[in-house]
Amino acid sequence: MAPTRTVKSKDFSKDGNKFKGSATPGVPGANMKSRVSKKPKAPPPKQQKTKLAAPAKKKKRVYTEKELGIPKLNMITPVGVELPKGKKKGKVFVDDQESMMTILAIVNANKAGQIESKIMKSRQMEEIREARRKEAEARQEQRNLKLEETKASMRKKRKRRSDVVVDTDPSGSDSKGAKASRKRVSFA
Amino acid sequence: MRPLTETETQTLFSKLANYMGPFIKNLIAPPDSNPSTDQTRMSFRLGNQNRVYYCSEYLANLSTCVARENLLSVGTCLGKFTKTGKFRLHITSLNVIAPHARYKLWVKQNGVMPFLYGGNIVKAHVGRWSEDCPEHQGVVVLGMDDMPLGFGVVARSTAEARRLEPTGIVCFRQADVGEYLREEDTLFTTT
Repeated sequence: MAPTRTVKSKDFSKDGNKFKGSATPGVPGANMKSRVSKKPKAPPPKQQKTKLAAPAKKKKRVYTEKELGIPKLNMITPVGVELPKGKKKGKVFVDDQESMMTILAIVNANKAGQIESKIMKSRQMEEIREARRKEAEARQEQRNLKLEETKASMRKKRKRRSDVVVDTDPSGSDSKGAKASRKRVSFA
Repeated sequence: MRPLTETETQTLFSKLANYMGPFIKNLIAPPDSNPSTDQTRMSFRLGNQNRVYYCSEYLANLSTCVARENLLSVGTCLGKFTKTGKFRLHITSLNVIAPHARYKLWVKQNGVMPFLYGGNIVKAHVGRWSEDCPEHQGVVVLGMDDMPLGFGVVARSTAEARRLEPTGIVCFRQADVGEYLREEDTLFTTT
């Protein structure tokens, strides 16, 4: 900035009428231009440099710690301890009917599912028990039948024996005849 | 006194749903109420000692005039939140639960006194019960004259309970009106 001022002052002192030269493009104006161009060729680049440097400085934004979100102490904060930004601090109350109804719907759905599954389970268990009971009954019946059969066979045997005893007692000829009729073994 | 948070409301409703099923909506929006007025709009408030009160919005708003340490109770006390975050129903909630109960169990005259002294209900004392009741479901216990006596949890499903011997336990007691005398000194205290 300083050299330009000195040039201007020189021009003014030497020419005497600076305004005329500037108004009409004549010889004095040309002289002035040449003089000006000779000496202060160096400063304009300086000016340019300053102009270029200024926007670069503006671009460099200084962030505050709050903006960066860097914790004050250099330590690990577990996930979930810090609340996310922009969220309401403290408890969220449920005081309106709509939100209560939505919570109720969720709870009811859960409970209905639970009850349904319980009923289903109890029914299945009931079916299994019924099947087992029937099986056990069938088995018992079979056992009873077997027992009855053996009983009957035992009775028959006893009867036969008693028949033999009765037959042998009265007379030998009849019993022999009966025996003969019973035994039918033939040898060729 | 403050309104309940979301988790608190969910815990409370899931407990009430054990006894009332879907009829809790009758508590939130009573069928004969006008939702536009505060006087009939009902709400749940959390008071001192983590007790939950069921009262009208109007009454809850009025209660703000009373200092917290001076306020003993507002509306009907339903129960309290334990320190582990679970909800425990008090016998005082019987008035609220009984009219909207889903499953009921009627006790014969000879079973009333054993129940009111804190005993469980045996099959021999049951007059009648609701059908299709699953195992471990909350039931309201009534006398044969339909007078609510308390509430409990069924030990067996209805089908299983039929096959049970007369001395077998059908319902585990949770609360009974005898507590008004037995727990007199702790039921309403605030300290």
